[in-house]
Amino acid sequence: MDCEVNIDQLEAGAKIPSGELLVRYGESAVRQDSDLKKIRGDLEAEVGSMGIIEAAATISAFEGLNRIADVTGIQLDIGLADESADFRMTLGLDAYAGASSTQTAGSPARADDVMGIFR
Amino acid sequence: MTLTESENYLKLGAQLTDTHESIWQRLGACGTWWTGADRVAAMAEVRSALQCNLCDKRSEALSPMMVTGEHDSISNLSPEAIDLVHRLTTDPGRLSKEWALGIIESIGEEAYVELATLVCVQYVIDSFARSLDLPLRELPAPGTGQPSRVRPEGVGDVGAWVSQTVDKTLANVSRAGSLVPETESLWREVVQAHYSRGPQFAELVWDRELSRPQVELLASTVSALNECFY
Repeated sequence: MDCEVNIDQLEAGAKIPSGELLVRYGESAVRQDSDLKKIRGDLEAEVGSMGIIEAAATISAFEGLNRIADVTGIQLDIGLADESADFRMTLGLDAYAGASSTQTAGSPARADDVMGIFR
Repeated sequence: MTLTESENYLKLGAQLTDTHESIWQRLGACGTWWTGADRVAAMAEVRSALQCNLCDKRSEALSPMMVTGEHDSISNLSPEAIDLVHRLTTDPGRLSKEWALGIIESIGEEAYVELATLVCVQYVIDSFARSLDLPLRELPAPGTGQPSRVRPEGVGDVGAWVSQTVDKTLANVSRAGSLVPETESLWREVVQAHYSRGPQFAELVWDRELSRPQVELLASTVSALNECFY
């Protein structure tokens, strides 16, 4: 399985199965757009009812995770700074207000495993 | 009998909604720095913030600090506590250290973290309901008792705006609320149920309804919309 998200094509779904609909559902849910019900139905036709529940669980988890990170002013973990060093600027992430909380830019490097990102 | 869409989601997601119910009632209990009544008042403010004129104007302004005024509040919480709840609810990506330190100076560091963590837990549960067009839960009954106001040991400056546990065995986001362990436990519980799910978090391949790349694509989408750097 290809586990690398193609960040250049995020809005088009990053070549992930049902990716475009997942992105549209995420956008509609966060913004509470009027098309939420329709997009949810379209996505459900592809991923099933349990897939929709998983998607809603993920969206809402990150609504909270984003907020706790922003309100406490945490810095990027060293591994996370390294992991994102080569694409933060390209994606414009360094312009986010929260960027000022992190003092280390990091050196481009990939962690050996998931937990290595959070060292 | 045919289930409605909402009833179907509630039935299929029963494990998650049971977890929500358990956490929800504890959100209304007496905290370490806030009473149960204060906490439930803050929960009401979270929902009120979504219809607040000041929050609406600020969210459209180039900088939120360019717009002054009073929030459309529905509680007796202090103006600083209300500002914390409303801004965290409606415009989290543009919070600043200067703003945070101003609130902390007024209400105290521990009270700031407890209130912020409470808002985040509630936001997860309310957002889940809104994403599925489920009815929002009724606010919990406020618990009785008085806050113990005990600051935990082993916390200090780790480079964030607020003190956290100095034990770096977790991701920084996982220790964000560690200044108020009792409320933080609710935060961890909801994130575990929704996303990380114990040791599975360390695996690249997940045995879930969505694959890990699908989940992380959604996570990236939400974080980009919220302009969250972390």
